Amino acid sequence: MRYFLGVLLSLPLSLMLIGLVAAVLPMPWHGWLVLQLIAAIVLWMLLALLVALPAKTWPPLIALLVGNLAAWLALQATPLYGVGA
Amino acid sequence: MRRMIDLHAWVGVASGLALFVAFFAGAINVFHHELHHWQEPHFAEQSATPMGMDRLLEQVTEQYPDARKRLYLLPDDEDPGVMWLESSKDDWVTAHATDFNAQGVHEDAPRSALADFINELHFALGIPNPGWPINIGMTFMGLISVMYGVALFSGLLIHWPKLRKEFFALKHEGNMRRYWKNLHNVIGIISFPFHLIMSVTGAAMGMFTVVALLLGALVFGPQLRGVITEQTEVWSAVESQGNSVIMPRMDDVLSAARNELPELTVDWLEIRGYGDAAGWIDVAGSVPGYVGHHAHVVLDPTLGPLRVIAPGQRSLNFASLSPVYSLHFGDYGGLLVKLLYFVLGLLGSLLFVSGNILWCERRSDRTGPGRSSAFLLRLTLGICAGVVIGIAFSFLASKLLPHTPLAGLVAMAERGVFALILVLLVVWSLRASPLRFSSQMLRIAPFCYLAIPLLQAVLEGSHAWLEADNRLVNLLLLAVAASLWVVRRQFRKRIRQAEPHPLWVGKVSEGDPKHLADTEREADAAASHSAR
Repeated sequence: MRYFLGVLLSLPLSLMLIGLVAAVLPMPWHGWLVLQLIAAIVLWMLLALLVALPAKTWPPLIALLVGNLAAWLALQATPLYGVGA
Repeated sequence: MRRMIDLHAWVGVASGLALFVAFFAGAINVFHHELHHWQEPHFAEQSATPMGMDRLLEQVTEQYPDARKRLYLLPDDEDPGVMWLESSKDDWVTAHATDFNAQGVHEDAPRSALADFINELHFALGIPNPGWPINIGMTFMGLISVMYGVALFSGLLIHWPKLRKEFFALKHEGNMRRYWKNLHNVIGIISFPFHLIMSVTGAAMGMFTVVALLLGALVFGPQLRGVITEQTEVWSAVESQGNSVIMPRMDDVLSAARNELPELTVDWLEIRGYGDAAGWIDVAGSVPGYVGHHAHVVLDPTLGPLRVIAPGQRSLNFASLSPVYSLHFGDYGGLLVKLLYFVLGLLGSLLFVSGNILWCERRSDRTGPGRSSAFLLRLTLGICAGVVIGIAFSFLASKLLPHTPLAGLVAMAERGVFALILVLLVVWSLRASPLRFSSQMLRIAPFCYLAIPLLQAVLEGSHAWLEADNRLVNLLLLAVAASLWVVRRQFRKRIRQAEPHPLWVGKVSEGDPKHLADTEREADAAASHSAR
């Protein structure tokens, strides 16, 4: 259950983290979309791996949830959504 | 470390069987192009010379108006083909020059679809796509690839401290389980870079739709869809003004493309808006000598160049997309690299079988005899044997049926016989002793693959080895037969040298451990002796 939830919750977090990197880097985000896709996939795998490291089940899953929420809030402060192209 | 092992086992077992299918079919699919040639039946009396590319295009676009919007031309000196999206069928249709009779009318001749079936098994486990926006089978395999990546990274963390020691550790030390473990570790370590490439590129291709949807929803908004199209399409969609144009001869198109990019080797052409002045032609192919070798020359109907996309002349998106495909398909380094992918693919299959077997034995050792580990072991053996032997029978059906009155059923038979054998062997494996089942399957399987080239030689004579693609595919099938023979020999050797795990020998369930290993029998005997 822990691994399954870890895999599931890691996907949106990895995408939003890559989105934040795209917002920070001084180059148009649409110019390196394929690299973002590959980076997001690798990050997804690594996050799912990290969730398995702690001894207890719930803290890493809660950390993932909090991370997702924080990344989503941080994305709202960027000009990416709908106006970046 | 314990949690890493648990994670590695969990993701490995959850994805192992799907990965076995993908890798075994994928090893054969490395030679997809050659298999397309192999599957074409050869008769002693061949029909008249088929029409050329230009006449084929005229006939197809006249008889099928949908083809005028968008079609793919597959150049071939002997039998060129055209592929287009037929709205009445809501599916892609392929027609070859040999499908047209002397009057130029398309006859829906039954053709083998073996290469496409093997390809579908590889990327979607053969799960049909009913035209949904998301290809279920492909997305499922994308998710499996992600889990496979997690298994790889966790496997690397587990084995990193003892990497050098395990590299030379293929021995059994009187213990069957040690042999499976060492085999799993050695294959995993040797082929780690290959598996890393496969997992990342497989996940990128399989999960593309899901990731794009989520990226749009969470990060970039609705603009993303248009941006993806703009960044990955070679040219914009046709906006017809209603002006017609006489299409250039395809030989001239190919010359014009080579004029723009002299080192281009052509694979296929995409024609949008056939006969429309606003249409365009994309001559797609490769520039040898690059990993990201894909190249496109886009021309207008008057053969004016619109765009050239090639190594050194392309955007970052094209430059990073091309290696994703070529690294996955292994088509960047000629025959040698393809053969390497073939071998690594077969070894990968062995990696996943050994991983599942290890898990079953380990779980049984840890928690005592249980139905779940016995069931998974039997299911693993059933699916692996079913896929290996089922694919061999698909090949046999593909070669045999065109020479019988049942020729019209060939494409259906290729899939049907595979499904039938898979189901039968899985059912059999769930009822039989795993050890006996494995021995029997490993005895049959090499002969199934040996029979395919022999059957072709009997039916088609010297065509089976004189034609280059046929020769190559037949040699590969013989290599699969030889590999299975080696696995059988090793399997028998291990049985002779070491007592198999109790899971392998019959019923193992709570309260019914009928078959004990030698060590367990000795321990029981010693215990009863001391009690007396």
